[in-house]
Amino acid sequence: MGKQQKLRICLAASSGGHLSQLRKIARAWSGRPVFWVTTVDIVNRSLGDDSRVYAVGECNREHLLRLVSVLVRCIYIVLTERPDVVISTGAAHGCLMCVLGRLAGAKVVWLDSITNVDRISLSGRLTRPFADLFLVQWPDLVERYPGVEYVGAVI
Amino acid sequence: MIFLTVGTQFPFDRLVKAVDDLAGEGLLAEEVFAQVGDSLYQPRNFQAVSSLDKKAFDGYFRSASAVISHAGMGTITMALDHGKSLLVMPRRKKYQEVVNDHQVGLADRFAVLGHLLMARDETELADKVRQLGSFVPKPRQADPEAVSRRIGQFLGQLGVPQTSA
Repeated sequence: MGKQQKLRICLAASSGGHLSQLRKIARAWSGRPVFWVTTVDIVNRSLGDDSRVYAVGECNREHLLRLVSVLVRCIYIVLTERPDVVISTGAAHGCLMCVLGRLAGAKVVWLDSITNVDRISLSGRLTRPFADLFLVQWPDLVERYPGVEYVGAVI
Repeated sequence: MIFLTVGTQFPFDRLVKAVDDLAGEGLLAEEVFAQVGDSLYQPRNFQAVSSLDKKAFDGYFRSASAVISHAGMGTITMALDHGKSLLVMPRRKKYQEVVNDHQVGLADRFAVLGHLLMARDETELADKVRQLGSFVPKPRQADPEAVSRRIGQFLGQLGVPQTSA
């Protein structure tokens, strides 16, 4: 029971749609200590309670230089927070937190965004090989990607 | 009032201009009010602001008889939550309106499921606008609880002592 209470959970989602989907499933970690890693600062106040929120800035494949600055911040967060689990809905920095968390020994849970109807997101495809639990929000994706699970959509 | 919103992150001149053209031709049953973000196009036939604070945005959203927007998840979720008639036109990568074409697939699927109307591009907009007045969106049956339970179950198992490692 001791370890259960001490599980340190990292919640990683880009501001906007990814974050709102992750917040829809807050019951999953209710009562456990969590910290958030998101992209833009303006929405963070609304995350409420006392959990810590890191805003690492926007990054995507179009801006590789910015990716370096995001990478440095994410490494710092993983080294200081030492999460046991990373739960992410994406996008790019969520994938990065999953990779770094995994390297530091964390379990990885990925919930692919509802917007990915016909195929899993690029970030999701990169995360899938090492994810411990990989959920999608459209049932037909399960047939296309072995090992992924569908239990329902959050939106 | 028809509320036109295109999000605030990137311009979406194509939709603002298309709606302005329809308004100019008298094809819209009601007046339009728009939040156009960084869009450069200046509509001639309705009032537009670049951004609204959350309270004002919510107010326009609630009082609108219908909403026209880009196929952003935030607007779609809000329309579904309020049972609002929504017509979307997806942003496209080829016009540099978005980094990838994820808005097309989602809008397409939600349109097939009856949650919203979709115009693939400007040429389909007039036809869809005509349907908007009588369109009744199908409520969405989402199950965030099932997803929460599955992840909660996974977290619960992590407390069990591992046999290896």
